[in-house]
Amino acid sequence: MLCEENERINPAIILAEELMRKTNAGGFYFDDIERTKIVLNESRREIETVNRQFEAFEKLPASPSRIVPKGF
Amino acid sequence: MSALLGKPALNSAFFYGSDKNLNFGERLTRATDYLEFKTRIGNAAKACETIERIVSESRKFELYKKYFPEKWKNSRASFSRRGFYFNYSERANEFFTLVNEHLFPLFDGWNEDEETDFEEFSIFSLNIDFCCTEIEYEYISLAYSAGLLLFTNNEEIWEFFEQKYNVRRKNLPEINDSAHKNLWRDKRTASSDPLLNLLEIIDHTTGNPWFDTSGCCEYGETYRWDERTINLLSDSFREAKRMLDEMDEMDVLIKNDPEKWLKRLIVFWNEGVLPDE
Repeated sequence: MLCEENERINPAIILAEELMRKTNAGGFYFDDIERTKIVLNESRREIETVNRQFEAFEKLPASPSRIVPKGF
Repeated sequence: MSALLGKPALNSAFFYGSDKNLNFGERLTRATDYLEFKTRIGNAAKACETIERIVSESRKFELYKKYFPEKWKNSRASFSRRGFYFNYSERANEFFTLVNEHLFPLFDGWNEDEETDFEEFSIFSLNIDFCCTEIEYEYISLAYSAGLLLFTNNEEIWEFFEQKYNVRRKNLPEINDSAHKNLWRDKRTASSDPLLNLLEIIDHTTGNPWFDTSGCCEYGETYRWDERTINLLSDSFREAKRMLDEMDEMDVLIKNDPEKWLKRLIVFWNEGVLPDE
């Protein structure tokens, strides 16, 4: 299930970085603020999805594997 | 988000001052702020918090510029360093101080704590709450005590007026259990208005948040930072001060002739009309 998920950086992390840089450079435009609402919603959805997946993962019963991963 | 910040001008931008104009200390603070942010940037939830903080501070800076443009121009307060209220920058702290000094009392009551979160703030009532407060009549306005007498016919208040102001109860009419029905129906006049204001203050029904908000056992309504709220709280605070001044004037009149004024108030309460002077 986790392997099927898209691998990407959470959009809030990218926007936060961008806003921090712009703030430090002197300021930002209204368009940047407009984007925050969309990005925050998207980001929170993603966080909730991950949390749900973790909760589901914790409920899985333990089952023995035929292969012992390296390091164990 | 547009509603949050008001309709933007075409070239609307949140510029706080370019790097070139900043002194070394401010540049250093911004740099460490950025580095501190970089150490926790891998966490999406923390990134959301950072965005919210930047947007929230920007909104306050816009309001600062709007309400105090001259102060903004001359301000040297940092945009990065944390101020006394350490959830906010020095510049946002400066804005709060200006609001507190020039518009309405923001720092009163529970808002004195340096950990206060002002995102959704409460105001501290100028009124007296009766639920848990034991009222000491000596320390409250005389007019307020007189008005309270009408609502409660309380023996303690009678004693207070008898002992302190030599009022003889037998010289005054009995107080009806409830106010005359015309009291709030008739048109207000210059002489009835202060008395009605007094009764409404005691009853917490002025329509003014500075009097009607309860500040005793629970937080009252909360407010957010936008122009509508600032205007509402500033205008209503000015009006509240006017009403308190009116009460001070009434205090002087009552002090000079307590029996006459208590009688006037009781007749007004019982009959809904003011007796002739």
